[in-house]
Amino acid sequence: MARVNTEFIDEIRQSDTFDASACMHCGQCTAICPMGLNLLPRRLFFYVGAGLEDKVIENSETIFSCLLCKLCEENCPRDVHIAEDVRFLRNYINRKVHKLVRV
Amino acid sequence: MKERRIGVFICHCGGNISDYVDVEKVRKAVENEPGVVLAKTQMFACSDAAQEEMISDIHEENLDGIVVASCSPKLHLYTFRAMSVRAGLNPYQYTQSNIREQCSWAHRDDRPLATDKAIRLVRSGIAKTLLSEPLTTMRIETTPKVLVVGAGVAGLTASLTLADIGLPVFIVERAPEVGGWTRKWGQMFPRGCGSNLVDELYEMVRQREDITLFTQAELVERTGNVGDFTVKVRVEDGSTVSLEVGAIIVATGFDTYQPTEGEFGHGQAGVLTLPEVTELLATNDGPLTVNGRPVENIAYIYCVGSRQSEDSDVEKPNLYCSRYCCSAAVHTALQVHERNPKIHQFHLYRDMRTYGKYELLYEEACRKGSMFFRFEDEQPPEVVVEEGRYLVKVNGQLDGDEELEIPVDLVVLVTGMVPRHNDQLIDVLKLPVGTDGFFNEIHPKLRPVETVMDGVFISGASQGPKTLAESVASSLAAVAKSAALVKKGYVDLDPYVATVNPDLCLWCDKCQEACPYGAIEKVTVADKEIAHVIPSLCKGGGVCVPVCPEDAIEITGYTDAEVKAMIDALIKESAVPVG
Repeated sequence: MARVNTEFIDEIRQSDTFDASACMHCGQCTAICPMGLNLLPRRLFFYVGAGLEDKVIENSETIFSCLLCKLCEENCPRDVHIAEDVRFLRNYINRKVHKLVRV
Repeated sequence: MKERRIGVFICHCGGNISDYVDVEKVRKAVENEPGVVLAKTQMFACSDAAQEEMISDIHEENLDGIVVASCSPKLHLYTFRAMSVRAGLNPYQYTQSNIREQCSWAHRDDRPLATDKAIRLVRSGIAKTLLSEPLTTMRIETTPKVLVVGAGVAGLTASLTLADIGLPVFIVERAPEVGGWTRKWGQMFPRGCGSNLVDELYEMVRQREDITLFTQAELVERTGNVGDFTVKVRVEDGSTVSLEVGAIIVATGFDTYQPTEGEFGHGQAGVLTLPEVTELLATNDGPLTVNGRPVENIAYIYCVGSRQSEDSDVEKPNLYCSRYCCSAAVHTALQVHERNPKIHQFHLYRDMRTYGKYELLYEEACRKGSMFFRFEDEQPPEVVVEEGRYLVKVNGQLDGDEELEIPVDLVVLVTGMVPRHNDQLIDVLKLPVGTDGFFNEIHPKLRPVETVMDGVFISGASQGPKTLAESVASSLAAVAKSAALVKKGYVDLDPYVATVNPDLCLWCDKCQEACPYGAIEKVTVADKEIAHVIPSLCKGGGVCVPVCPEDAIEITGYTDAEVKAMIDALIKESAVPVG
């Protein structure tokens, strides 16, 4: 049972650039991803949209495994800027989990 | 039996028939049948040249009946009937034997068999023609006025268009006000305001002298036939008004599905149907609240009351998709977002049916933060009350069956359309009703607004769930059909009507019961109660014929004798060796 956390959703929404809400879950991206990881990127964006912060943080390692090669982005029918969105999430994890701050 | 002079014309159809059937053999086989004085083949019987030839043959040989063995009568029945009329021959003494669709095209692999079958088919055509009588088409003068039942947007638009065409219109509306559901709603997808539209249409209708609107009125009786109906309307003060019209358009619309108590939490203050929310948004400008508490999270549950399973406990499940609701729900989410972008909206769906350009609404909703979760048909979401809010539990199918719990303040049940209860109207107009409860059209693609009751048209949501734009398009189709019907000035009805033999009839009412068109009435002739067929209502359906225990009723033009003769001719042993 995973509870939807709307506070997490609001935090993500603070960003002007994060546009993964446009995702319609077609799975083209995951199919073409050279890393072949189950999570990337469709299910990851699902967790973000559903406010499942714990699940996102659980999968930090996968999020950092993305090559940012943009093969997924080229094929996304909704033109989601997947690479940028992954970078945003990395940033989020750095701030939230590892307490890194910008100097 | 009188000496008959029948001409038989067998068509090659440019090879369509002659490639598979030996037409010359067929000709030889039938040229000496009793009654046949002429038998010839033609390349294309429907061509001008061939028709001219047939006409001169009719004159020169004094033919009093013809058989054309060619394609299906669905294609050229009227062609050759018109030709007969031009030749001075009664068109009902012409018979078309289908040796193409029902013979050559069906038996391409067996020439001897196809030829034998063609011979039999032509023989049966000859047998029928031998017994045929000259008949007269019934011509009915049409009344150039139309009745529209229902003053929703579709009915009002239809009335204005009919008036534009030059036809006076009577509108009968059951409610005290016009506009149906649309009157209560504000912004509707894809654009525009419902209540404004209704006001505009009403204003236009009020100003037209040739449109008479009766509100709080109901249809109580209908007599007559296509082109010439007399309807009685019970009006506001209880009195009855009699109207003469040529055609009737039914535009009575739909009802919204009412969830049962407890269905997805229905009955709770914060669980509303989509139409209720749409009405709320139209009447309420302020922030959304439930029980005084501001709405922060909304969950939409789709397909409530539609696409129900046949195995479900529901008494009469609605198996159909209501078509409009996915687009309407997504549009509502956009309206809510415009009012308050902070509200989180979660959509629980089975399939997103935002078809055509409405896909853009779905995309926009996604971009604006609406989150969509798919659930399996067999595992619908559950709504439980938790600390004054609602917890919606759903098995999100697209994320590997993760069980999600969504705390929300408002649950919107996206309900579908159901047929309106209108037993009286159905009874008065003898409206055919489909298995889903909506009125039945003759054919969903080829004849979507016509019913088997000639002159009575159905349109809009009363025929099946559809959007407002589609309802209006449908009602305009009914306008085109009904206007064409009455503006012509007359309707010609085929004389293939049932007739009762008064000597044999013992009035048992079985034929009256069987007739779906209400064409049979009881009359008293010379102190005897017998059945009588009203020719203008009879469609020659023939259901009355087999139910009569006394064999007292038959169809003119397809009498028992004619049908028996056709069967005998079909099974007669072939005098021509086959193969």
